[in-house]
Amino acid sequence: MSEPPIAATHLKKYYQVHHKEPGLGGSLKSFFRRKYRDVKAVDDISFEIAAGEIVGFLGPNGAGKTTTLKMLSGLLYPSGGRARVLGFTPNERQPAYLRRMTLVMGQKQQLNWDLPAIETFLVNQAIYEIPDDVYRKTLDELTELLALASLLKKQVRKLSLGERMKCELAAALLHQPQVLFLDEPTIGLDVTMQTKIREFVAEYNRRYQATVILTSHYMADVTALCKRVIVIDHGKLMYDGGLEELAARMAPHKLLRVELASAVDGQNLARYGEVVKAEGQRVELLAPRSKISETAARLLAELPVVDVTIQDPPIEDVITRVFEEAARARQADAAEEAAEDD
Amino acid sequence: MFKYFKLLGIFWKFSVLRELEYRANFLTNAFMSVFWLFWGIIGTTIFFAHSDTLGGWTYEQVLVVLGLYTMFLGIMEAFFRPNITEMIEQVRVGTFDFVLVKPVNAQFYASFHSLTMWRLADVVAGAGLILYALRAMGLTPTPMQWLAFALLLAVALILVYCIWLGMMTMSFWFVKIDNFAELFYAFYETGRFPISVYSGLLRAFLTFVIPIAFITTFPASALMALLDPMELLIGLGLAFLLLGFTNRLWRFAVRSYASASS
Repeated sequence: MSEPPIAATHLKKYYQVHHKEPGLGGSLKSFFRRKYRDVKAVDDISFEIAAGEIVGFLGPNGAGKTTTLKMLSGLLYPSGGRARVLGFTPNERQPAYLRRMTLVMGQKQQLNWDLPAIETFLVNQAIYEIPDDVYRKTLDELTELLALASLLKKQVRKLSLGERMKCELAAALLHQPQVLFLDEPTIGLDVTMQTKIREFVAEYNRRYQATVILTSHYMADVTALCKRVIVIDHGKLMYDGGLEELAARMAPHKLLRVELASAVDGQNLARYGEVVKAEGQRVELLAPRSKISETAARLLAELPVVDVTIQDPPIEDVITRVFEEAARARQADAAEEAAEDD
Repeated sequence: MFKYFKLLGIFWKFSVLRELEYRANFLTNAFMSVFWLFWGIIGTTIFFAHSDTLGGWTYEQVLVVLGLYTMFLGIMEAFFRPNITEMIEQVRVGTFDFVLVKPVNAQFYASFHSLTMWRLADVVAGAGLILYALRAMGLTPTPMQWLAFALLLAVALILVYCIWLGMMTMSFWFVKIDNFAELFYAFYETGRFPISVYSGLLRAFLTFVIPIAFITTFPASALMALLDPMELLIGLGLAFLLLGFTNRLWRFAVRSYASASS
């Protein structure tokens, strides 16, 4: 078996961050003497990604997703461990590697603000040494897939955010990379545009068998595109596997949506599970996954139920819960340590 | 190698296009370079109304120095200043990442991808002033003098490039470095006059530490049979050393660069 296109082994990145107290006093103090502390942005993460896979990186802000992407794309040197992409060590930034990958950052743009996007495309054509006929063919394809025809000759600063993002994607894909690192590609876009970008990524992946890593704040991006997710929190890998198993593993509860013939008071409902929502006759309850059929049966027998459905809770909520629990656990640990210090 | 010439052409075309988007800038720039050239000539002329020589140099000889000063000011403003400004911005907002993930030499890209074409007017004006002053003195440099001049121009170009590259490198660590450029310009001001005007430590400083003398005085000397061959040799050595050092510094900085807002 040849090696997988993307592999991280015990990847680590520690930063020294300077720490400033608030206000002018703090600024002055930090001008003269900077206090540094170590931040473990990525702390021993390992995974492998197979050719043609689209994998979603999930995690709250500052979890280490972007740092991991930057190590994989060769922008940052790992403090420890190893990254391998397409058989290269990314931080050596060999042209042969850079020619086959791309990085898209939703919050940063490479297009020149003052010129039409097509001018940046031509610069990229020269940088990636794309022959004219290949360039034209790829550009035509991208133009069609992203509906760029009317945008290419407009000054970039006159484009809307969504239009600009489409041009950014095209600029990043002219050289037909095999590995795509997409960091928040849909950030700030409206729902329609998000969907378009999503469909495009799926189509690109299909056409070119490209391997994609995607980070996003929008769960919809991840659920639509990725069968597999990697959850990172505080630099640690918390989960790596299927999206559906994530729900099962991390959410030990199911959601019962109940419609009642008449209102039932809250205390009575609480006997069946955690009340998430109670609006008159419509009620939502979280009940342990293992006892879900038993709970549903009891509900039907004991309450005036008109209708009941059993669902997985929304993945957003699952993830939020996981992170909240992890944060609570850390706080408890810290409190314990502090207590021991006394 | 061919790729880089082609890229240079595309970068510059790109820059020209960008400047054409802002037409008013063109007139202002063209006017400013003519204005500053005359301002410099007037200053020198006023000085010579009170004295026959400046640091042992005659009026026309000083004009050659002023011509070189104007030429290199134009070169710096046309080629280096726009690149450093852009690099500071790219490092600050983190878009320098896009340069580093491209299969292109990052130093080449950062140094040359932008050009302020209008400031080339200074180069033309400076060259004109040099030719005018030579004619006014009735001097025709020999082929050997032209050769020495060409070599010293190359040395001066390399030195100027190294100084700007050094400043760009600093932006990796300090991000906001506009003030370095201002400080350098303050030193560069001294290059309006031949180095012999300055004495002692200042002179050594302006020759070897911030080698302004090699940018304006020595190339001018070459044209007017005032050059000590040692100066040419030292210049070549200095250019060689500084280029090696700043290249190394750049590579080290890229290695330790941690992009903004990770």
